[in-house]
Amino acid sequence: MPEKNTHMEEIDLIIHAPARLKIMMILYVVESLDYVFLKNQTDLSWGNLATHLGKLENAGYVTIEKGYQGKKPHSLIQLTPQGRTAFKAYKNKFQQLLGDLPE
Amino acid sequence: MNPPTSLKDLERSLYRSSTQDGLIDIQVGSVLLVFAIAPLLSARLGDFWSSAIFLPFWAAVFYAARVFRRSQLQPRIGQIKFGPYRIKRLKNLTSFILVFNLAAFGLGLLAFFGLLEFPGWLPLSILLPAGFCLVGYTLESSRFYLYAIISALTPITGEYLFRNHGFSHHGYPIAFGVLSGTILAWGIILSIRVIRKYPLEDNGGRE
Repeated sequence: MPEKNTHMEEIDLIIHAPARLKIMMILYVVESLDYVFLKNQTDLSWGNLATHLGKLENAGYVTIEKGYQGKKPHSLIQLTPQGRTAFKAYKNKFQQLLGDLPE
Repeated sequence: MNPPTSLKDLERSLYRSSTQDGLIDIQVGSVLLVFAIAPLLSARLGDFWSSAIFLPFWAAVFYAARVFRRSQLQPRIGQIKFGPYRIKRLKNLTSFILVFNLAAFGLGLLAFFGLLEFPGWLPLSILLPAGFCLVGYTLESSRFYLYAIISALTPITGEYLFRNHGFSHHGYPIAFGVLSGTILAWGIILSIRVIRKYPLEDNGGRE
């Protein structure tokens, strides 16, 4: 029976999707940002961005603080402490996984 | 531009994309216009008023830039708040800018009271490039280092034009006119690029 790669199983699949990984990386290095900035940086469509953010929000990795700027709705997106920890763990796990690969 | 290769690079690239709207160039260019136009007005208005009349002009430019940023650029670029690393870096820089301004003021006072003598072009050839380097370092933008080089040469060029080609007012109107015009034009180009690159679009009420 083939051996299971336990390292691979420990990879957080919520973060691992390319679009969400990009979002998590951006949120990891800043305090907070809005939809427009995130959309410009990720090149995702509004719909895709909202879907991926929804998944990250459901996992407790990001918070979306809905507010207003003047009369226009304006939301601020921020990584939660749980999301920050999860991203650090993902980063370490992935480094370990790739570091273990033979040349 | 190369894609970021580390999280630190990513943070830097995000910072750069939030500050490259050209408005700082427009503001700096309009401030430098005083060196080009004030000498031409000084015969009629005197040294003080020929510079002082620029205050309402600067106030108007800075106010217009603020309104333009809020109404046109921010909806296109979006908003971002940076983390402790960037805030600490900007705070350190604020202290450095204060020291730099105090040193420039001190030198100015010494020259005013005749305790220090130097050729007229020298202080500007040092202070302007130093200021531009500071802005370049703060905004992590290489074009300000180019402005620093051009601004170091500007007073010298003016002096050269004055001595060798008989240009009036130490050649400042033409030399600083070119410098401020170049910076203003570059700022306007950057702003137009941002507007063209990020058109206002309907987000489908997702915010």
